[in-house]
Amino acid sequence: MNWRRGAALVVAFLILVTLHYTIRPLLGWRASIDFLVIAVLLVSVRMRPGAAALLGFLTGLVSDSLTPATLGAGALAMSVVGFAASWLRAVIFADNVVLHAFFFFIGKWVFDLIYLIIARGAPPLELLAQAGVWSPLSAALTAAAGVFVMLAYRMTLDPQHA
Amino acid sequence: MARAVRASSRADTVILVACVLASGLLTILPSAARDQVASVLRETVVQPVLALQRTAERGRNAILERDGLAKRLDSLTLASARLRELELENQRLRRMVGLGEGLRTGFVVAEVVHTQSLGDEHTVTLTAGRNQGVTQRSIVVAPDGVVGMVTTVDAGSSLAILWTHPDFRVSAQSVGSNVLGIVRPHIGGEGERYLLELTGVAFRDSLNPGTLIVSSGLGGRYPAGIPVGTVIGEVKTSEGWARTYVVRPAVKPQDVTTVMVVQPERLGVGVANLWPKPVDSAPPQVRDSAARADSVSRAAAVAKADSLVNARLRAADTPKSSIIAPKKPPL
Repeated sequence: MNWRRGAALVVAFLILVTLHYTIRPLLGWRASIDFLVIAVLLVSVRMRPGAAALLGFLTGLVSDSLTPATLGAGALAMSVVGFAASWLRAVIFADNVVLHAFFFFIGKWVFDLIYLIIARGAPPLELLAQAGVWSPLSAALTAAAGVFVMLAYRMTLDPQHA
Repeated sequence: MARAVRASSRADTVILVACVLASGLLTILPSAARDQVASVLRETVVQPVLALQRTAERGRNAILERDGLAKRLDSLTLASARLRELELENQRLRRMVGLGEGLRTGFVVAEVVHTQSLGDEHTVTLTAGRNQGVTQRSIVVAPDGVVGMVTTVDAGSSLAILWTHPDFRVSAQSVGSNVLGIVRPHIGGEGERYLLELTGVAFRDSLNPGTLIVSSGLGGRYPAGIPVGTVIGEVKTSEGWARTYVVRPAVKPQDVTTVMVVQPERLGVGVANLWPKPVDSAPPQVRDSAARADSVSRAAAVAKADSLVNARLRAADTPKSSIIAPKKPPL
């Protein structure tokens, strides 16, 4: 990865973090797009697994600081997702949009499941509804947005993979 | 090479384990310590993110509240408009009460119902009739002046013609110079639809714009002193022996909501002092010179009338009707 691509990746990551804290509150949907997961997945596939886990940990920690009751849950989930994404980089570099979408979908859903298990804040029924209904919905939206972001990124800065 | 890859892979795993352990440690921290860690993060690296989120949420609230605010603003505007109407109504009613106190007896208060049917816009229904003491041909007045006359009386209501009715007539005079004439509706164009005209004014008399016209009491129907309107200007007619003036009415028909029907027994007592007289604030010297100017202008008007009559007799043509403002008399 040359410095230009590295800088572009950092900018893309920052834009996605910004979107996470502007678009999400603005829309206010219950099943919302998780731009943080997209950002971590987008960057993780271009990093070593250890670095991806560390990036996930730090991103999750930032996210958790706004909900102190579940501090650490997001960091743990994001670490696992980042590490796994880096291991599965071969999948994400495939030129198949459906596979990309599936990758983002699974990434977000796994994140939510780990988060819900670690946080343990909600009653069981609500937890089930969240894991079985709202998380997949949110994951689907995140997958759609993730595919769009990945294609846009490749078309502008990574043309050999577009 | 393979050893290097394995070492690298082991380092990745170690980092992951460290991250997981750190996260796990954070989750099992006491809540006070967790709050402290979160607080430190919020006040340092997360602060810009927090500001972004706050702005976004404010934007969302603004969007959600926009419709509600628009509705509230509409309601307030409507209430404000109604308040203005109520203020005007209150003002009218206060003046009506003041007029009623002046009259003391011999009047009936009635509300005006504007029917506004096509071809009958000069007639209104009053909410007082025979049972309240209204009689036929009673005069109808408002705090501003003459409104019209009762034409038909029923038990609980009555009909009255407004001054806009073609049959309306009132004997009138100017305040101050006592120039006499008959006031009737001015049948002019659309713009002059709701005006009066003072007809039959002797040619030797002239009136300045703004002169107040009141009922003269001649004829016995309308007592003297009720405001009728103010002079706007002279209208040229084919009648060479008398002047006609267009008069702006004291009462606008569309504004009339409550009126007083003056009963016949009250007419004997008179109502002249109930309406305020126009205040002449000019000093005596000015009034004297104005009177002299009036006499000079009157002489000039007589001379002009003579020449005009002679000219008309010679030309024997009929000039078109139009409103003209009288010229200022030379001082």
